[in-house]
Amino acid sequence: MLSVSDLHLSFGGIKALQGVNFEAKEGEITGVIGPNGAGKTSLFNAISGFYAPDKGTVRFDGQDITDITPDKRASLGMARTFQNIALFRGMTVLDNIKLGGHTRLKTGMFSAFKYFGSARREELELRRDIEERVIDFLEIDHIRKYPITMLSYGLQKRVELARALAMRPRVLLLDEPVAGMNREETADMARFILDVQEQFGTTILLVEHDMHMVMDICSHIVVLNFGQQIASGTPAEVSKNPAVIEAYLGAAA
Amino acid sequence: MGQFIQFAINGLMSGAIYALIAVGIVSVFKATKVVNFAHGYLIMFGAYFYFTFAVIIPGQEWAPAWLASWQPGWMVEMRQGLNMFSPLGAVLDWAANVPRIIFGLIGAVLCNALLGMLIERSLMRPLMGQSVFAMIMVTVGLISILSGAASLIWTADAAFVPHIAPNTPIRFEVFGTMVFLFGADIVNMIIALLIFGGIVAMVKFTKSGVAIRATAEDQSTAYSMGISVPKIFSRAWILASATGAVAGAILATRNGISPSLGLFGFSVLAIVLMGGLDSYVGCFIAAMSVGVLEAMTQWKLGGEWAEIVPYVAVLVVIIFRPHGLMGQKEVERI
Amino acid sequence: MINGNLKADYGADERVLNNRNKQLFVYGSMLLLAIFPFVAGDYAMLMACKMGILLIAVVGVNVLTGYTGLVSLGHGAFVAIGAYATVVFSNLFSGLPEGILPLIVIPLAVIVSALVGIIVGLPSLRVKGLYLAVATLAASFIVTFLIEQDLFAPWTGGVNGINTPTANLLGWELDTKREMYVLITVLALTTLLAAQNLFRTRVGRAFIAIRDRDYSAEILGISLLRYKLMSFAISAAYCGLSGALFAYFYARILPEQFELDLSLELVAALIVGGMGRTMGPVFGVFIVMMVPELIKIAMGAATGGSLELARYTGPVQEIVFGLLLVTFLLKEPLGINQITDRILRSANRWPFARG
Repeated sequence: MLSVSDLHLSFGGIKALQGVNFEAKEGEITGVIGPNGAGKTSLFNAISGFYAPDKGTVRFDGQDITDITPDKRASLGMARTFQNIALFRGMTVLDNIKLGGHTRLKTGMFSAFKYFGSARREELELRRDIEERVIDFLEIDHIRKYPITMLSYGLQKRVELARALAMRPRVLLLDEPVAGMNREETADMARFILDVQEQFGTTILLVEHDMHMVMDICSHIVVLNFGQQIASGTPAEVSKNPAVIEAYLGAAA
Repeated sequence: MGQFIQFAINGLMSGAIYALIAVGIVSVFKATKVVNFAHGYLIMFGAYFYFTFAVIIPGQEWAPAWLASWQPGWMVEMRQGLNMFSPLGAVLDWAANVPRIIFGLIGAVLCNALLGMLIERSLMRPLMGQSVFAMIMVTVGLISILSGAASLIWTADAAFVPHIAPNTPIRFEVFGTMVFLFGADIVNMIIALLIFGGIVAMVKFTKSGVAIRATAEDQSTAYSMGISVPKIFSRAWILASATGAVAGAILATRNGISPSLGLFGFSVLAIVLMGGLDSYVGCFIAAMSVGVLEAMTQWKLGGEWAEIVPYVAVLVVIIFRPHGLMGQKEVERI
Repeated sequence: MINGNLKADYGADERVLNNRNKQLFVYGSMLLLAIFPFVAGDYAMLMACKMGILLIAVVGVNVLTGYTGLVSLGHGAFVAIGAYATVVFSNLFSGLPEGILPLIVIPLAVIVSALVGIIVGLPSLRVKGLYLAVATLAASFIVTFLIEQDLFAPWTGGVNGINTPTANLLGWELDTKREMYVLITVLALTTLLAAQNLFRTRVGRAFIAIRDRDYSAEILGISLLRYKLMSFAISAAYCGLSGALFAYFYARILPEQFELDLSLELVAALIVGGMGRTMGPVFGVFIVMMVPELIKIAMGAATGGSLELARYTGPVQEIVFGLLLVTFLLKEPLGINQITDRILRSANRWPFARG
């Protein structure tokens, strides 16, 4: 579904990614793990189009998307969340989630000025869709009219997931979805991720530090260290891989 | 060719004045991340202060006579027998003005520094840590306050203000053509360059310069490292308004005093952006190039077209180099 | 007390005037606007028309600065372009019947403004914040400079200004302030409503998204190129319309009327009223226009009409204008709209204390 091959990325002299290769299979959850500074977020930024890789390709459903802008990738069906929540702080939860529907809507400038007519129909249909498909699903109906700044960290993360789901993505990139959460919140989020995969059949690629969660929910894991891909495989394979153990625990262990 | 050299030199001389004004905007930006849209109006105040201390006060009845015109015996003797346009005569005219020039400059620098401190304390400091947008808009509001205040305070017609240096015409030959300059312009340029160089050296080599640079990098980290950020804010504003006073005095002698001096600040703002906002070197290059470009435009297209040279130049530079000639591109972390 | 927030369908929940007090305020104000020309004197009429013209431009600046987060200090230039385009096109098409001329000229002026807006907006794709503020300022200096040049004087009248036509809508000649009031008010309300509508749809949401976090907007499929330029075009078009009305309202226009002071007035009105809020420009324009009037009246009373002291009025007005802007930035950065929100909130909860 989503594949990167031989991806290289550098900033000045720093080589952030050196030859990363993997595929996120359709309908499965793929995890990317690695110590701090391994290049996980750089990989995400290259996949979503913020950084142009020096070498290598990113393919989406067979199509080469290496050179297209982030907004075009979104129209193809790629959604993501950010490590340090990137919600729109000047808006309510509802408006944030509505923004997820941007690419599916058609209202242009002039019908927007008029509002009554096609724009209103479309807006009400969007509202119904996100209420029934996203807000209800993620159990955030009690906060829908709240401004983002009033929400707790965990809820903000959930709203960000809601916004991504409103896009009806085919591939969902989650950058540390449970970072900084307590155990209960982590369990909730893990359940939501599994539900998304199950109900919508969405292909999911996630970066995470929480090993328990990654091992529990991912069917395939890619391990990065210093920009290099040192292992990939099922959770069981990866956790036995000596290179991975060394990267995490040091050579002496 | 001769014309070209003449206009190029004129351009470099106004470029130096631009650089002197730019240094105030850059220093405030470096320390506080605020671009002072009202800097031109601070300069206007400097000009009016110079006018007050060099012309109005010496002209009062209670002021000592030597302040208005210093005429010691030896000077009167030297003057005798000189014809009207002799260079020595011009120097003596200037020498008679020296007390009020010094009085004017000191007064202007002190008053303007006080004004800068007042602005920083009352308007900028309450916004410390707030959005930069709010601070910038405060400086926009300051435009109206300063320009209104100036026309309220100085209602008298601005008369002649004394030149800082003897204004003797100087003629010399470059590559076989005659170039014609005024002494005062040369001294103005030297003053401007010395102040500019001094400030750059201070920021580079002294301890408070390091503090300014640290604050420019990261205000809260600098604060937690024991640098008093509010003090840095104050100093930057005082520095900017004091240099602005000198620039104002120079401009007053060159172009006369009028409320339109404030508008001058906007062309310098354009220059600062061209240079890259936080780079003294970039601003110097931009100031000199705009000075020369303006002079060339004046030569080829006529005086009024020179007015928009800085604005056209800044748009061109921004389109090709969004962060100015030497500006640092801020890397956005996602 | 308005208790509960009970809605039976999504349409009801998406309504703008979603409670009694808001409806009361809006419909009441519209009623007052309708009665106003029958009771107001000439001077009040003049003020109302000036406010209406300024309002349209401030709504435009609000779209760009308030909602899209792109700061412009040069929008006076678009008002100038709208005004001068109106004069130029009116002279160009003077062969057409008078009654339909404005119907062609006004849209053309708006389109020209919008096109120039797109050009001026181009730097916004590469620079943000400050750089953009200075870029727009520079562009506006260039525009007013060009209008003044002898080169364009045959069309623009140069520094001496140029006489403007009278609006004539299908034979109805709007040659009094009271008639212009009708046109200005109708257009101001329409454009205000249009701006409000914009932010109920994906277009307006995209603007706000760009303001709040541009990279996050991109990831949702919002093209920065398209929407930034669209925002510039819309705001310039609003200012162009304001300029067209300006030209029809006054007998003569001068380039100096559109210089820095106007651009600053637009931004100041927006900040005082409340950025990124529908009613912000309305409150802001009212204050920015009324305060100088009050000063004039107060100064007139204080000086007993002495001409000697009357010359202080201008500078005092200028200072108070600056202080107004600064005070709001320091004390109520979200503008008057924030104050009215508080009042509305307590009205909704009355007779209980506001919570």
